[in-house]
Amino acid sequence: MIVGYVAGKSPLHQAHPFTGLVLAGTVVVLAFALPAPQGPAALAVALTALALLARLPRVLLAALGFSLPFWFFLGVIHGLIGDAPLRALTVGAQITAMLIVFLLVLATVHPARLVDALLQRGVPFSLAYLISATLQAVPRLRQQAADVVDAQRCRGLRVQGSVWRRVRAIVPLAIPLVLGALGEVDERAMALDARGAAAPAHRTPLEPPPDSISQRIVRWLLAAGAAAVIVWRIVA
Amino acid sequence: MTAVSPRLLALIPLAVGINLAMGKFAAATSFPLFLDTVGTVLVAALAGPAAALLTGLVSQTTFTVLDGRLMWLAFLPVQLGVALYASWAARRGLFASVPLALVSGTGLGLLAATLSWPISLLLFGGVTAGGVTIVTTLLTALGVPLTWAVYAASLSSDVLDKLITFLLVYAVLISLPARMAARFPAAARALGRA
Repeated sequence: MIVGYVAGKSPLHQAHPFTGLVLAGTVVVLAFALPAPQGPAALAVALTALALLARLPRVLLAALGFSLPFWFFLGVIHGLIGDAPLRALTVGAQITAMLIVFLLVLATVHPARLVDALLQRGVPFSLAYLISATLQAVPRLRQQAADVVDAQRCRGLRVQGSVWRRVRAIVPLAIPLVLGALGEVDERAMALDARGAAAPAHRTPLEPPPDSISQRIVRWLLAAGAAAVIVWRIVA
Repeated sequence: MTAVSPRLLALIPLAVGINLAMGKFAAATSFPLFLDTVGTVLVAALAGPAAALLTGLVSQTTFTVLDGRLMWLAFLPVQLGVALYASWAARRGLFASVPLALVSGTGLGLLAATLSWPISLLLFGGVTAGGVTIVTTLLTALGVPLTWAVYAASLSSDVLDKLITFLLVYAVLISLPARMAARFPAAARALGRA
């Protein structure tokens, strides 16, 4: 199950993209810094509530689907064989909390809005382009890869059978995809050159996402909270 | 960042796309492989270490973002290690023949397993992707200590994966049309022709 951006009107959708990113960073720090296993477990429960408030049950379903295999293997390796069920609970809760927050950010922050926010803060155009071009190239090349598999099978390529046959089958699948992508490089390089991609000039985004004082405060509080927990754990 | 040339700026997103699309071929041939460093190794051979490192960084970040599983970001050192090793191998002309690519690909597999071993052991308690974890589980059930079970599992998947990756990049380099090869002078060096 692939979760991408899900259109909506929740506070998380309307928030500045950086707010979501800071939230994700804070959760990662807290998942490892809070006392285990109750800290990570509470974090996972709180994020579940947040996802429900944002009306994104899809995020929870996907997080459940991704984390179930982890829970299973952690239970077998640490719970049954290693006789350390608390360790399984800790790692499982850490992974689940990080999964939920990351899927949540992914579902509520549109890539174009993130790029606009980055440009507005003076991030160089080349970096912003790198992010948006990559996010567009990946699904397109994945589709092309699926097309190449279909096309070569139509021509009689056998992709099953002995190990040696399957190893040999990878070559006629990979070469067309890679050479096709390399063939695009020239055209793109010329287009980028014509648009002055290498110029260090600051660019103005057309529709920068709105930010507010309250959101800035939330971001600083999140960061300060994470830092405070780290200091507390070191001192205590 | 502003110093990145338009050519590299065009190449890197496509290389990341190659990294993340190769999994389809592994799935089609039912191999438990990742093949998620083919683009990084290719860029290392075509454009050198700086571009390869950038490809590795963008690739791991994008994979994490699109997949929604933040923990993959922890494996970033593996991508960066692959980028540096592949650049070194390309500069030494280790893509010159099939046997050379086999040997240097095996070397990369050993390096990748050694880099990913402490990450999966310390951060994830040895539980990562499906196929590898099944090997880990079987070995621990047989009484092998978790530390070595995780390393053995990493080796079993990484060596074959990186070996095939190097062979694929070798196959791409020798089949580059002359006009395309002329745009990437480093490719001739990787093939030992310069």
